[in-house]
Amino acid sequence: MKTALILFAAAIPAFAQQNFDFKLLDKLGANATGSTNITLEGDTLKLATSFLGDDNSSFRNLTGVYVRSFEFAKAGQYKEADLAPLRAYLKTLQWTKVVDVKETDETSEIYLHALPNNKLGGLAIVSAEPKEVTVVFIAGTLNISDVGKLSGLGIPDIKLEHGGAKSNDSKKD
Amino acid sequence: MNLDDELKAALRREPAPADFAAKVLAKTMLAKTRGSQARVLPFWRRPVTLAIAAALALAALIPPAVYRYREQRRAIEARDQLIVALSITKVQLQHVRERIQNTRHKI
Repeated sequence: MKTALILFAAAIPAFAQQNFDFKLLDKLGANATGSTNITLEGDTLKLATSFLGDDNSSFRNLTGVYVRSFEFAKAGQYKEADLAPLRAYLKTLQWTKVVDVKETDETSEIYLHALPNNKLGGLAIVSAEPKEVTVVFIAGTLNISDVGKLSGLGIPDIKLEHGGAKSNDSKKD
Repeated sequence: MNLDDELKAALRREPAPADFAAKVLAKTMLAKTRGSQARVLPFWRRPVTLAIAAALALAALIPPAVYRYREQRRAIEARDQLIVALSITKVQLQHVRERIQNTRHKI
C-alpha cells in the first residue's frame, strides 16, 4: 500500500509535466515587439542534443526545453496574471523555488526539481521586468554542476535579435 | 525486221502467268511477317519497360537521400535552437545572480 502511494505520488508530477500547454504563455506576447519561442521535445530534442557534440553530452537526458521570451516597447504591455498558469503548474510539480528576487517592478524566480545524487529533474526560470518577460522550462535529468557549467560550456553569448529574426518554433504549435 | 517491228515485238503485252497474283501475295505476306517479327522486342528491352525500371530505381534511391538531407537540416536547426535556449538560460541565471549580489550589497 505504502509502495503504491509512493508510486502514485511520483507519477503525479510526471503526468502534470506532460499536461502543461506552453501555448498558454503565448498570450504574454500579444503586444510584444520581439519574441523568442523555442519548443524542443521528443525526437527533435534528441536530434539537437546529438548534434551538440561530446562536450555537451550532459544535456542528452533532457526531455523538454521550452523558452518564451518577449520584449515590449513600453512598460505594462503584458499581464502578470498570464504567468499564473505556469506558477500553478510548477506548484503541482512540487518543484522547489530556490530563488525569488523581487525588486520594485522586477521579479526573478528559479525553480528546481531536486533528485538524489546531486541531480536535478528540471529547472525553471521566470523573469518578469517592465519591458521584458522570459520563461525558461527545462525538463529532464541534469547534474547540478551542468547548470553551473552553463556559464562556461561553450554556449555562446547570443545577442537576441528580437523582432522576429530569432523567433523560432521547432514544433509548430 | 526493222527497228519498229522489233520494238513492237519487245513491248507487246503478254498476259501474266496464272499464278502471278498468288506469288505476289505470298511474297508480300512473307515480307510483312518478317517485318513484324523484327519489330517485336523482348519485354525487358522495350523502351516502356526500361523507362519503368529507371523510374523505379530513382524512386528507390531518391527518397532515402532526401530523407537523410531533411533529417540533417532538422537536426542542425534543432541544435541551433537548443543553443539559443541554453544561452537564454545562461543569461537569465547570470541576471538572477547579479540581482542577488546587488540585493546583498544593499543589505
